[in-house]
Amino acid sequence: MRIFRLALAAGAFLALAASAPAQDTAAGRCMTCHKEVSSGLYKQWYNSAHAVHKVTCIDCHGAAATDKDAFQHEGALIATMVTPADCGVCHAREAEEVGNSYHATAGEILESNDAYMAHVVAGEPVAIIGCESCHGAKVKIDPASPNMLSAKSWPNSGIGRLNVDGSKGSCNACHTRHVFSKAQARQPESCSKCHLGPDHPQKEVYEESKHGNTYYTNVDKMNLDSDSWVVGLDYSVAPTCATCHMAATRAMKSTHDVGRRISWTLRPPVSKYKENWAERRENMKNVCRNCHGSAFADGHYYQFDALVRLYNDKFARPAGEIIRLVSENKLLKSPAAFSNKIEWTYWELWHHEGRRARHGAAMMGPDYTWWHGMYEVAQHFYFKLLPEAREYGHPKVNGYIDSLLTNDPMHAWVARETKNLKEDIQKGRMQEIYRRFFETK
Amino acid sequence: MLVKYINFIRGVAISRIGLIGVVLTTSSFVTFVLLEAARLLGLLTNTYVGLITYMVFPALFILGLVLIPIGWRRRKKATGLTTRQLLERKFADPDVRAGFFGSRVFLTIGVFTVINILFMMGASSRMLMFMDTPIFCGTACHSVMNPEWVTYRDSPHARVRCVDCHVGEGVEALVDSKLNGLWQIISVTFDLLERPIPTPVRQLRPARETCEKCHWPEKFYGQRLKTLVRYGRDETSTPWYTTLGLKINAGPGTEGGGIHWHVAAANEVRYASVDDKREQMLWVEVRQSDSSFKRYNNRRLTGIETDHDLIRTLDCIDCHNRATHIYEAPDHAIDDRLARGRLPRTLPYGKERALRALTGGYTDSAAAMDGIANSVSEYYRRNYPDRVDAADDDITSMIRTLKAVYNRNIHHGMKITWNCYRSQIGHVGDGGCFRCHNAYLVDAAGNSISADCTLCHSILAYEADKPFEYILPPDTTDPEYRMHHYLQREFFESVGQ
Repeated sequence: MRIFRLALAAGAFLALAASAPAQDTAAGRCMTCHKEVSSGLYKQWYNSAHAVHKVTCIDCHGAAATDKDAFQHEGALIATMVTPADCGVCHAREAEEVGNSYHATAGEILESNDAYMAHVVAGEPVAIIGCESCHGAKVKIDPASPNMLSAKSWPNSGIGRLNVDGSKGSCNACHTRHVFSKAQARQPESCSKCHLGPDHPQKEVYEESKHGNTYYTNVDKMNLDSDSWVVGLDYSVAPTCATCHMAATRAMKSTHDVGRRISWTLRPPVSKYKENWAERRENMKNVCRNCHGSAFADGHYYQFDALVRLYNDKFARPAGEIIRLVSENKLLKSPAAFSNKIEWTYWELWHHEGRRARHGAAMMGPDYTWWHGMYEVAQHFYFKLLPEAREYGHPKVNGYIDSLLTNDPMHAWVARETKNLKEDIQKGRMQEIYRRFFETK
Repeated sequence: MLVKYINFIRGVAISRIGLIGVVLTTSSFVTFVLLEAARLLGLLTNTYVGLITYMVFPALFILGLVLIPIGWRRRKKATGLTTRQLLERKFADPDVRAGFFGSRVFLTIGVFTVINILFMMGASSRMLMFMDTPIFCGTACHSVMNPEWVTYRDSPHARVRCVDCHVGEGVEALVDSKLNGLWQIISVTFDLLERPIPTPVRQLRPARETCEKCHWPEKFYGQRLKTLVRYGRDETSTPWYTTLGLKINAGPGTEGGGIHWHVAAANEVRYASVDDKREQMLWVEVRQSDSSFKRYNNRRLTGIETDHDLIRTLDCIDCHNRATHIYEAPDHAIDDRLARGRLPRTLPYGKERALRALTGGYTDSAAAMDGIANSVSEYYRRNYPDRVDAADDDITSMIRTLKAVYNRNIHHGMKITWNCYRSQIGHVGDGGCFRCHNAYLVDAAGNSISADCTLCHSILAYEADKPFEYILPPDTTDPEYRMHHYLQREFFESVGQ
């Protein structure tokens, strides 16, 4: 009987073997070893949607002989690094959206002041871990490396990684391998791998905000595993980063272009409206309106815009002008950028607290807007930047500062009596100074 | 006759030392003959008696013989008399009178000397024969050799004598082993040995001489099915199975072949390791058809000079390094006893409890015996008070087996604890096969030695609940469908080869 059954099994196998594509053999061979030697990774995959659809190792890691990072591994030509071009074979729309997004440009930082600072002030190890882990490395080939990838750019899962196949980005920056869980990518923790800290505390702002507050209270009601994840339909208790910046609403499709709903750029020293900002803003308001009335959404932007303009005009532009004058008149003692104290003061003013204030305002984080934000901007402006600039004793610099503190009504408070200033507040005269920031363009 | 003998003995035992010599020689001779007669007649069956019969009595016999002339010399010095004068004093005149063949005393001594020589020849050959028995090797230096003795007797080679593997043939090997033994006696006496004793990788006879007497490469062909049973640490100690079709064949030539390809007549593999542990390879070489060697260098260990003493041609012992003195890992020992029915599977969390009891970090054997018993009985008394009485037999049996496992594997006196002596068979972690079959040993073109699973074994189940999972038809909805399909085909195809 046993022999008969074995023969039956053999027969069934022969029938299958005739129809078995070579791809099945390759797939099976990978799984056979990696089930043991990479058992954690294998189990992650086993529990993924990829496994359900029989997308296995070779489907993503299989390489063409022309791929620069391809190498022979146990009879198969493979590549370790999976790029948006690979994922895009199945996820075409997402790959295209990512390719056109601001995220995809994150790796082009070598020319930036940030990268300069990391390389010069600190050193390359910092640039690799501290910058490129999030921004993405320019992937280098090393023929001596077992997987052809230079250890300086592998591991790297930065969101703007410059891949050897010409594609930009890394899907697993958000879609953590090898589970690639929807739920995981939709949670704020996914974004807060990078969006946190002194220079862009989106994670902290979110946690402070009502949005974060209600999310962490109701995370079990977020329906995060659902295939369809439309706000107001599939979940309603709270928005995550993905909800507002990416996810679908009843009226809008989801997008992997994270900038499609962002109207201001809050990154540079002086904020600017983005291209097509009105359309982008309307996209965001479309999300807001699922849970808020129109007046609420409009009101939010009314307040937010005023804060950004206030920051721009009261501090960012004058600070920039002072630095420009210092530099133009060759007052900096050391020639290299960031070798003079005042450069660091200015840097933190816009790059740290200046951004914190703006991000706080964008995402309803009061404490980040004021105490971690504008309060520190003002303190560093009046009590660090101005005194440090005056130390040069240069007439043009001093003249500019004197004029600012005398003629600009926003700064003229410095020379006035507290009693009078308080009276101005009560009478509305003080607010009148800032009225222009509320005027819609 | 007896009177004459006693008179002779009295005469020979000239001083106290001489007397002691005579008594020693005579009594050990008589006892040896009696014991040997008893053994030949089947009255004595205890093999340990050999330690006394063949080691102690012949030694005492010779010691006695040496003492007799010493006694004479001392007496001569003390009295200032010549040998003749002394002889005349001790023996009656007729006995010392010169005859045609010498005096009677001289003739008596001659006869005894011939008897002694014959006896010594017989005894020493019996002694050498006895020294070739495992009981001598395993128990003569009991405290030091006990761990090896215990594991040997519980091994697949329990019926092969120690000397068959550890001592070669011929006079040279005999002398070598006796000199080595002498050094061992010295190192035990003066406590010069390392604990645990390092594996004597250099002193072993060449495996090709030893192992291949019974296991020669041509004898390995086809696949050998092996099912490894592991038990979970859950309530029912659920078994799961890994079934391998081990491709053990030596292969027809330099191409093809399975695991024993490494030792096939057509092939030669040699390597240089970092040290005598032979766990990290600097390079590996394979002889090519043109007799040149192709080298795979370890790119993780660059800049280390090759020590020529550490270059070796791969043989049996490089993989089967623990073919006999097998020390078990605690979880595997428990799995083995569960599979063989020596540990009951009826107790809840049996595997888990057994493992915890066994690996309690005990400082000596007595503490371990108490600890194991307490750990098991306390656990079941506290957590299963209703069932503990009915399960009494099982609990007792579990404790008994665990104690035996402990005593088999752990030897505090020799500082042998869990996982002291690593086995290189198969691949645990990056050991065994993976010492060479890994991504880091590469040839000039950067190619590594294959570590493909199915190179050495088909897989019929991997940590599965069915021991032959992959022979069954694959389920198309299973995420592992493609692997299942592949492994099934691979097995049938490789068996057909």
